[in-house]
Amino acid sequence: MAKVFIYPTNSLILSDLVERFGHKPLAMMGKVREKITTVGIDSPPLNITPEDPKLGLKYAAVEVPAGVRGRMSLVGPLIDEAEAAIIVGDAEISFGCMGCARTNELTKYLARKKNIPIIELVYPKSEEEGREFVYSIAEFLKSLPMEEGSA
Amino acid sequence: MSDNAPNIITKIVVIASDSILPIDAAMAIYESENEITIKETCYGTMVSGPSDVVNRVVKKVVSMDVNHIFVKERGFLPGDDRRCRAGRGGGPRPGFHFLREEVKMLPVIGKALDDYEKHVPLEKVTHPGKLEVSQLKRIIESELAR
Amino acid sequence: MSQDDRVNIALLSCGSEYAGIQAELESAAEMVNARLVYPEIDVAILDTIEMDFGLQITSPDLKLMMARTKAVAEGTARVDGVFVASCFRCAEAAIVRNEVRRYIHKYSDVPVISYSFTERTTAGTLLTRMEALTTIVRRKHLLAREHQTGLTAGIDSGSTTTKAVIMRDDKIIGCGWVPTIRVIDSAEKAFEQALQESGVKRDEIQAFGTTGYGRFLIGDHFKAKLVQEEITVNSKGAVYLANKQKGSATVIDIGGMDNKAISVEDGIPGMFTMGGICAGASGRFLEMAAKRLGVDITELGDLAIKGMQKKVEMNSYCIVFGIQSLVNSLAKGSTPEDVAAAACHSVVEQIFEQQLQEVDVKEPVILVGGSSLIEGVPKALGELLKIDILVPLNSQFIGAVGAALLASGYVGE
Repeated sequence: MAKVFIYPTNSLILSDLVERFGHKPLAMMGKVREKITTVGIDSPPLNITPEDPKLGLKYAAVEVPAGVRGRMSLVGPLIDEAEAAIIVGDAEISFGCMGCARTNELTKYLARKKNIPIIELVYPKSEEEGREFVYSIAEFLKSLPMEEGSA
Repeated sequence: MSDNAPNIITKIVVIASDSILPIDAAMAIYESENEITIKETCYGTMVSGPSDVVNRVVKKVVSMDVNHIFVKERGFLPGDDRRCRAGRGGGPRPGFHFLREEVKMLPVIGKALDDYEKHVPLEKVTHPGKLEVSQLKRIIESELAR
Repeated sequence: MSQDDRVNIALLSCGSEYAGIQAELESAAEMVNARLVYPEIDVAILDTIEMDFGLQITSPDLKLMMARTKAVAEGTARVDGVFVASCFRCAEAAIVRNEVRRYIHKYSDVPVISYSFTERTTAGTLLTRMEALTTIVRRKHLLAREHQTGLTAGIDSGSTTTKAVIMRDDKIIGCGWVPTIRVIDSAEKAFEQALQESGVKRDEIQAFGTTGYGRFLIGDHFKAKLVQEEITVNSKGAVYLANKQKGSATVIDIGGMDNKAISVEDGIPGMFTMGGICAGASGRFLEMAAKRLGVDITELGDLAIKGMQKKVEMNSYCIVFGIQSLVNSLAKGSTPEDVAAAACHSVVEQIFEQQLQEVDVKEPVILVGGSSLIEGVPKALGELLKIDILVPLNSQFIGAVGAALLASGYVGE
């Protein structure tokens, strides 16, 4: 089972497909859950405190806006952990964690720069494209090692 | 939440099936366990509870129409004050709009999963590129000739 | 404050939840009895909002910000004020923020304050802004006032000097200016000067207005009808004195201890920065420079006008090291004129670097506060910004005039 980073990081379709084909999706939702259930921090809504953008310095310089670094403090560790990645590049309507274009550019860049199997596509607009989309992702996921931690 | 609390998770189950209605899925969940809470929303059903129970129940629901029922995790528990629009002065949760967009694509994804399972061969999909210059020239010439 | 006084502020923000300052925003709002709300939108608007604004952008959260702006401007979201916030150093957000303000201003009369934050932004910093915003909401009728009527007095208890004016029907008939020593004593003295010049008696004054650091104390003392922070008062006072009450303007106030740069629309502040971290960017720097040159502060401007700032090398804006540079230059044979010009440039350059980058500088630029009288300062600022700087008559009395003008709203009540 490989840990597969997905982009958009909150995608239902990608998260579902990764799990469906026997791997572990590395998605924002799990990260948010981890964050909001942290004991002893009360900084609604996401429990992100001014300390988090500092953790984001690992991924972006101090001159990069605080909102980018704060988001990177969530998404960066997912990329660090990733053994493979699926990137769907044309999601336009995603807010919040995915709401900042600069963060999204940096996220994709860091995933690509990592030396892991990666597949890049766009969302399907027709039945034919849908088939191509699902088939490519399925083949990609099947090509990843199934044993734990062997990727 | 204390460190000893069971690992509580929430999953969203989205039904895009011709044979199973969201209410059928909800009934199946209601009947199965009492350790979980569920909340039906306009785009899917949220199932919340200890992770092992949630995973078991979700698996059961998905098996009702495996290629047409989709699942993802959700960070916040249903009705969490920090994200609930009633509590925080309006505005939908940030993830809502994108979920809506993806839900619209699910019939296509479901159909493709059916085809993949049945080994329906993939036809070559042509993606129209930019117009060739020579072709553009022909169009201009024919327009000018009119 | 009663529950009835509670105002709804739409938070149109990008990045605040991720920069870790959402809690600071909430608590600043709570302190001024305001509630932050998030306008609902019709999701279909997201497809057309960019063309509606004529602004195409890539960040979805900024699109959402524009969609919510439309909801506010059209009144589908019923709010009393708007707080626009986005990350400092984000160019895309800075463009959107500006357009959001313009859009709301064009299509509605809901007041807007905007701010760009870092993770170091605290509730304290946000409080001044929230306070200004809720003041605009709660005292809208007062801020709409364009003329001073009746006989009123305004007292500005500043950190360095205390100013008082007495006004009658749009005319300043008396003024006083004393160094601030003990807040109430100094206010009394300045007021006494103003009384003498005007020839009116204390009990004839129909309403008092106070502003500045000591506003609460002297407000109590004079039983002022209006006790107001200086952002609102100075904005109003500046456009009133400069006769630019309609449209955009930028007010730069270089005070004795801190500065304000305020972007104003129809006399109402929209975005502002307040300095106060470094004395090198304040009137105090000019005072020190005058002292080292052996001239009175009132003569420094004259000197500076005749000098060439480029002939003096300054290595620091700091009030210690910068002044040392000036002294070294004098020792090397620089003329006092050049040194005076360099001192004015130093202050202005630091204001430019630290403050003006965070507000939209729109013409006319109105320079006020005591330092505006030092001719070298407006000259240096004009050279730096490449625009003509407006210094209205009585610019040093800006706060007192603003307070007297706004207090006249209470005459006859």
